[in-house]
Amino acid sequence: MKKTFLFLLALPALAGCMSSVNSVEPAQPTVTAQAVVDKRVVTDPDLDNVAHIIGVYTSTGPEGFLRVELQVQNLMHAPRSFTYRFEWKDQNGMTIDLPTSTTIPVTLQGRETTALVTMAPTPLAKDFRVTFFPSK
Amino acid sequence: MRKLVLTFLPAVCAALLAGCGTDAHYVNASGNQLVTTVEQVNIQDFANAADAMTASLIDREINTGDLRSGVPGDKALLAISLIKNETGEQFDTDLLVKKIRVALLQTGKIYATTTGGFGGPEDPVAAANQTTARRPDYTLSGKIIETRAQSGDLRQSAFVFQLSLTSAGNGVAVWEDEKTIVKQGTRPAVGF
Repeated sequence: MKKTFLFLLALPALAGCMSSVNSVEPAQPTVTAQAVVDKRVVTDPDLDNVAHIIGVYTSTGPEGFLRVELQVQNLMHAPRSFTYRFEWKDQNGMTIDLPTSTTIPVTLQGRETTALVTMAPTPLAKDFRVTFFPSK
Repeated sequence: MRKLVLTFLPAVCAALLAGCGTDAHYVNASGNQLVTTVEQVNIQDFANAADAMTASLIDREINTGDLRSGVPGDKALLAISLIKNETGEQFDTDLLVKKIRVALLQTGKIYATTTGGFGGPEDPVAAANQTTARRPDYTLSGKIIETRAQSGDLRQSAFVFQLSLTSAGNGVAVWEDEKTIVKQGTRPAVGF
């Protein structure tokens, strides 16, 4: 009886820890981005629940720079954080070293979807890899 | 027995405390193991802001083919103008600007001058030996602003990086962007 009472007392506090979002968008999108068939290596299932990749999209501008967008969703019902880093490769598959290369922190509310967008540093960048890290 | 314990206790404590310390070691400058402080702009904040600004400049000005050079067939020339530090911390704004300049040079679409810019030539030897002078096509200027807030023990610092790319010929800003980095932390119960 005592345990049940204590559990019921804790419920409101627990509910405050969970905050997820609602969203709305056109049922029939007027434009569709070019999706990329991606290869995923998941070694941390918990991180995959926080930063779950819905899709990878690319486009190329008039001057040949690649634009990449990752649609990422937090599958949990509470806010969660992670960091990510883009790496670029040229047409020979060699990594392009950048002074601006860094891990970028992101915080998503529960069930929130966001777009991680970046531009290739040079028209010679033809390929990329995104690495996700759990938040410290 | 008690005397024996009291005799060796300080030595044992000293040995344990020495073992608790962390030896100096290298960390990846672009990794996620860097120290994050609330009241300072950390090295990863400069990289984060530079990355966002460069991506924006490439997306809206370079990739669209809108960058124009005063010399037909040649790349556009960029000069660095005034970048104001309006935070409470003293740092060299090159921690931001140099990253952006290197990244822009890597695009292959733009040159940067080291003999003309705010504060005089960055390379005085090159300036002294310069035989031809080319006026820059664009200048990069900006400001870094800090705002602080506190709620109880929770402290928050927001660093706003603002940059503008101006067409030097007519003084028109052809690109502008702003990146805000917000950090929160709690003040420790003991200490500063």
